[in-house]
Amino acid sequence: MTQKDRDIESLFERMARAKVNRRGFLAGTGLAGLSAFIAACTPGSTAAPSAAAPSTAPVASTPASAAPPSVAPSAVAVTETEGKLFMYNWADYVDTDNIDKFKKDFKVTDFTYDIFSSNEEMMTKLQAGATGQWDVGAPTAEFVEAMVAGKFLEKLDWLKLPNAALIDPQFQQFYKGDKADLNNYHLPKDWGTTGIALRTKDVKEDVKTWKDFFDVAPKYSGRIVVVNSPGDVFVAPLKALGYSLNSVDPKELGEARELLRKLAPHVLALDSDTYDAKLADESAVMGLVWTGGIDDLKEKPETADTKYVIPEDGTLFWMDTWVIFKDPPHPNSAYAWLNFIQDPAVQAKETVTNRYATANLEAIKLVPKELLNNPTVFVPPDVLASGKLEGAQDVSTDPLRVEIWEEFSSSIGH
Amino acid sequence: MTSQAAADRPNAVTTGRWRSRFFTGALIAPAALWYVVLLVSPIVLVIVFSFGTRNRTGGYTPGFTFDNYAAAIKSPDPFLTSLFLSTFGTILCLLVGLPLAYFIATRARKRKALLIVLLVIPFWTSFLIRTYAWLLILGQDGVAGFVQDLTGNTSFRILGTEPGVLLGLVYGYLPLMVFPLYVTLERMDRALVEASKDLGAPRWSTFRQVTLPIALPGLITGSILVFIPMMGEYVIPQLLGFGQVYTIGNALYLRFLEARNWPSGAAMGVGLILIMLVVVTVYVWFTNRGRTVRDVSVV
Repeated sequence: MTQKDRDIESLFERMARAKVNRRGFLAGTGLAGLSAFIAACTPGSTAAPSAAAPSTAPVASTPASAAPPSVAPSAVAVTETEGKLFMYNWADYVDTDNIDKFKKDFKVTDFTYDIFSSNEEMMTKLQAGATGQWDVGAPTAEFVEAMVAGKFLEKLDWLKLPNAALIDPQFQQFYKGDKADLNNYHLPKDWGTTGIALRTKDVKEDVKTWKDFFDVAPKYSGRIVVVNSPGDVFVAPLKALGYSLNSVDPKELGEARELLRKLAPHVLALDSDTYDAKLADESAVMGLVWTGGIDDLKEKPETADTKYVIPEDGTLFWMDTWVIFKDPPHPNSAYAWLNFIQDPAVQAKETVTNRYATANLEAIKLVPKELLNNPTVFVPPDVLASGKLEGAQDVSTDPLRVEIWEEFSSSIGH
Repeated sequence: MTSQAAADRPNAVTTGRWRSRFFTGALIAPAALWYVVLLVSPIVLVIVFSFGTRNRTGGYTPGFTFDNYAAAIKSPDPFLTSLFLSTFGTILCLLVGLPLAYFIATRARKRKALLIVLLVIPFWTSFLIRTYAWLLILGQDGVAGFVQDLTGNTSFRILGTEPGVLLGLVYGYLPLMVFPLYVTLERMDRALVEASKDLGAPRWSTFRQVTLPIALPGLITGSILVFIPMMGEYVIPQLLGFGQVYTIGNALYLRFLEARNWPSGAAMGVGLILIMLVVVTVYVWFTNRGRTVRDVSVV
């Protein structure tokens, strides 16, 4: 097989697996649409609704410390649904077997899966007045604040979600201090990191931190790929300087701007959709990337030297989280889904399929070892404990950040 | 006075005229409604938004400020890049499209239908997929790699450069240039060209004085059809330009989606509309100057 054949093959693989870049804008809109189309053409499960009771029995005893804000020990799962569920979510983001199981167990005949390709797109739809159309979705956690402010979300009734008690509190308590009430609007789905990808056969330096990344960048000028997402790109300079990645302080951002100015000429591409392809053909040898697609590179013999590094000076962890939209057309189905998906066995299957870390402490025990030890999926416990990971806040709208980003993105490569 | 004149006429005529007006109105109504709902009202909304301010979570708060325009004027680079790309893209489309349309219209004979079908076939595939295909063709394992091997210049690339983006633009929009040109050239009376030759005009003069003026309406339509979408193009510069070519499309995406600042994006959008209005007006005026019949569209 020639290199070109492999490329074409990998292109088709990408098309078939739009979830590779969960946050890729173009992949999301175009290729995801294609795969949704293909999915729509595939005959669905014809399994007749079973009369058996839902197999996801509520889990009763759990440590009190792991309980979400107001979980009462007497929480009881919803078993009767409206027979329909309308989901609004990232493309290919739920295991299809789990969907079939849910349909069977809860006698749901109409399961609609609508797709958004970015949080911004979802927000824009909701702001344009699309409430009451969907039951559940999984936006990224920092968007919960704006969604609550816009009255787009239902406050969760923990009494209907016994499995919520299994969620690791450090993820459930995403919002701190006076924003803590926002944690009553979401149920963590999965999470991951932004980091550095290296082709170690080309990059000989041991790049461990964002500071290293900036230091070696001039040496690999024109061979660096960066995701086209301001929220992720600002992580690198701010963390290299030792600041919060959510900083909107003009002085700190000014210093970050200088680092980005120096980096810009060395960048080959701002690319959220095919950064892994650029790493694969070595047009890029170092990248500021998400984890999507990196494992595929590691598994292929010709790109097995690919390495994913969680920078030691700290980085961003993103978390997608289940929400119930305001005025859901099928509230019982919505609660049934949220509880069902956090059933440990169901959740472990989600982790294996999506290859993103689960926040469910019981599900982790069922996840295969090699997945737990893979840094693109799970963060090593010591890094997690070090407190160097920081959740993103919704700061992408800060005018100074917009200005710096515009300067950076219009000056890359020259 | 008109109403009095109408009142003087027999009643039947008035009814007939009223009826015909009613039918005309009924026939126009769907199109009119279409334009008002899908064209006029969005533009009005964009203009209104462009004077407003951003609300705390994104979206729009009514207001009246020129700040958004001031900010748009302060960063003219994406406007200039897009203007450059779409101007050159249009010229390239014309250079490729005119000979092609001329060939299909006058020389292709039996293969005419086949060639037209071949021009249309790419539209059956998603535009995005076709643009992805160019990534393979021009990339490290395609043309760029080949040239690198040939010349030994390892830094040679096509993707991530303005020529690469131009190539993608011409590929994507060429049919929109060819079709209107084809339509006008197809209707051209061949006798005119023969007459020109009989009277001793060299080829170039014949082309300039006979063929080109006849093709002009198609040329204008084609150029506008190609120029306008190129101005707002986002996908091609993003994919083939690697984001190194920062266009109006990028700037609008940043403002509307990343920054969720609709008013600022709206002001930029109004700027884009104004630029296109000016360019197209000047272009139509320039190409039509001296002509008595001002054709703009034949499609």
